[in-house]
Amino acid sequence: MSKPEVPNTTLQVKESLFKRYENLTVLSIFVSFVVIVVVVQLISTGGSRFPTFISPVNIVNILQQVAVPGIVAISMTMVMVSGGIDLSVGMLASLVSIIVALGISQWRLGVGPSVLVGVASAIVLETAMGFIISRTRIEPFIITLGGMISFQGIALLLSNSREVVMKGELNFLTMNLVEGARDPVTGLILRVPPYVVAFFVIALIGGLLLTYTKYGRRIYAVGTNPRAAFLAGIDVRNVRLSVYMIQGLLVGVGATMLLARINTGIITLGQGLEIDTIAMVVIGGTALSGGKGNIVGTLIGVFFLGSIANAMNLLRLPSEVQFLAKGLVVIIAVSAGDVSSQISEFRGLRREQAKARSAAATAKKGGP
Amino acid sequence: MDEILRLSHISKTFPGVRALQDISFDLKRGEVHCLCGENGAGKSTLIKILSGAIQPDEDGQIFVDGNAVTLTPSTALRMGIHTIYQEHIVFNALNITENIFAGAEIARHGLLQRKEMRRQTENVLSYLKSDLTPDMRMTDLTSGQQKIVEIAKALVSKSNVIILDEPTASFSSREIDTVLNIVKTVKSDGIGVIYISHHLDEVFEIGDRATVLRDGRKVSMYPIAGLTKTTLIKDMVGRDPSTFYKRERVERGETVLQVKNVSGKGVRDVSFELHRGEVLGFAGMVGSGRSELMEVLFGGAPLVYGEIAINGRSVRHASPRSAIQNKMCFITESRQTTGLFLPKTIAENVAVANMVNTRQFIMRPANDLLIGEKFVKLLNIKAPSARTRVVNLSGGNQQKVVLGKWFNTGGEIYIFDEPSLGIDVGSKQEIYKVMVDLLKEDKAILMVSSDMPEVISMSDRVIVFKQGQIAGELSGEEITEENILTLSIGDRQE
Repeated sequence: MSKPEVPNTTLQVKESLFKRYENLTVLSIFVSFVVIVVVVQLISTGGSRFPTFISPVNIVNILQQVAVPGIVAISMTMVMVSGGIDLSVGMLASLVSIIVALGISQWRLGVGPSVLVGVASAIVLETAMGFIISRTRIEPFIITLGGMISFQGIALLLSNSREVVMKGELNFLTMNLVEGARDPVTGLILRVPPYVVAFFVIALIGGLLLTYTKYGRRIYAVGTNPRAAFLAGIDVRNVRLSVYMIQGLLVGVGATMLLARINTGIITLGQGLEIDTIAMVVIGGTALSGGKGNIVGTLIGVFFLGSIANAMNLLRLPSEVQFLAKGLVVIIAVSAGDVSSQISEFRGLRREQAKARSAAATAKKGGP
Repeated sequence: MDEILRLSHISKTFPGVRALQDISFDLKRGEVHCLCGENGAGKSTLIKILSGAIQPDEDGQIFVDGNAVTLTPSTALRMGIHTIYQEHIVFNALNITENIFAGAEIARHGLLQRKEMRRQTENVLSYLKSDLTPDMRMTDLTSGQQKIVEIAKALVSKSNVIILDEPTASFSSREIDTVLNIVKTVKSDGIGVIYISHHLDEVFEIGDRATVLRDGRKVSMYPIAGLTKTTLIKDMVGRDPSTFYKRERVERGETVLQVKNVSGKGVRDVSFELHRGEVLGFAGMVGSGRSELMEVLFGGAPLVYGEIAINGRSVRHASPRSAIQNKMCFITESRQTTGLFLPKTIAENVAVANMVNTRQFIMRPANDLLIGEKFVKLLNIKAPSARTRVVNLSGGNQQKVVLGKWFNTGGEIYIFDEPSLGIDVGSKQEIYKVMVDLLKEDKAILMVSSDMPEVISMSDRVIVFKQGQIAGELSGEEITEENILTLSIGDRQE
């Protein structure tokens, strides 16, 4: 059966392109954003120079900035598709960085075991939260808020409220994989560290997992309609638990990458990570109510949010403005989908009205 | 006695359905006027019109105290018409006083007059001879006590008409007596009460008059004095059976499901057997515990006591997962909330339940699409393709997607809970045909239905449920509306 026939199409469901491919809305906003930045740059340089914003060195730069939040955003997508949320990832990342740094520089565990301990503790802590969330009816928002505060406490206790400095033991994670490569436009050195590659690999695995596996289907089912999922034989509680375990793994990995860049385990390391990742996921079209969203959307969200700060630096806007702009972008990107669907609904209503009116008119003519 | 409320020639048309047709009805001060009728006779629609929740068609009129009025929820309340629905609408975290005055607080200069509100609550509670106190929290009350609070609220807001929709459903018999006594007190105070109940003995205990509705029409109106239950039931039934759907009969095979002394939430001591090739119908009033029984059988709610055997082998369903593995299927009553993943495509919906039975981890969307298309064709689902989102389908087609989801699991025991609820006549017949086809394939069907013609035309045997228990079993010629109704609303059980 190469071409399945379509039987009896009395009901034609028309959907706008933007509704069918939900990511298109955000993607088009993103593309127009890029175009605007490029145009502004061209105008300000009089069109004589290549716009730095889309130069390879700058794009690689952006990738380095977004890789770690991007990794966490992948698992955050899974959590949110299942109908949950996780506010604790930022503090958990700080905690992991402190544990790994302590393991290397004070407990003398060695690099490998220290990283393992750090990642394992992230998984254990997320599992604990996931256990409470999946076994009770308490909102994940509250549980992970509590988690965030407690993780901060644990991190401060472990580090005696001080930073833990390392001697570059994790530098292998920041080495340049494309040693000697240069930007053909600007001639600057290109840097592609392992964590950028890791981000893409994880995104690929996450995307395949969500779309092409039974497990992914179950996450969507649980997020869309938990009761129907339960009655269809899905172990709703364990699906909910498992997404938090994956979240733990990826926060652990991401935090290690961050630590490698900074070389210091510190409480502020993961600060704001939860805000950034949730914003990325939401910009990508994932609904807080669950069941909706995908990795492609999240990737768009990651690059979008990541390039804003960068673009504003290039446009020489003050950093204070950047917060405002970031916030507005989140609001606009998220409302765009709803506004477009409201417009199409309104148009549909108009069509219905016109149809009803003409039907009424013909009925009157045909009647006695 | 003077009249407070009159409906004259009221009709209500929903798209495609005539819910009420030419209903006239009146209510006098100090009387209890009962509304009787089967599920779907139009009682709820009538109440909604009286409470202003929906507007009747233009040709009828409503009079309150002799004046023609248009009722909206707020004008109905202002004219003293207070409706108490079957489901409690209460603020659980607040106490009785706060509930009674919710939305109508007594305030002076913007400040709440707590003492005054408490005093009035105390008065009304003692007037109702209730042992409740104004400061008790709603969460601590039984559903019978909550009903009393709602009646108290109606009294405090100086109602002339109180409408009680199934006030005693799922109450213990002591609570029922309390509520009935309160209705008597209210009535003696000159308030008119419209009382709806499935329990005929309540109607006979407190009613002054009874109006019988059937299929949206008024059949008769009697004074209760001198009336017999048989007369009432005769009026409530009386459809012509020759108009019912005619189903092909299939030869009955061996026993496939045995249920022994099963108890669970809302279900007490239920035993029956189901054979291959038969439809076992479950009749009874809405809320009699039939759906709860099906949940227990399917593992969706815990089995408290009893035994379930499939093909002679005892099984324990800890969750729907094991029920599906034992080849059971559950087409739930509410397809939108418990059956479907509305924003997802037909293909994804069809694939979801069978994931229990397959081993492979990888899901190929292309493969699902093929299976989806197969069911679109097989069940004649009217959609452009299996990629269509279920939310865009009509009720009948959504129901077919639910069927596809379960057929895909290769199940043998099908539970249909209200198989044709809210779907058009054409799809209804298609679904009946699909059910008969299942029987021909030697499968078995448990069917819960509140639609009398459906129960009678589709069932080989009928079990009538009442208050979580089996009230009786009918087969063959005994399956008539009258017998079913007599079993399900006859005498109150202790």
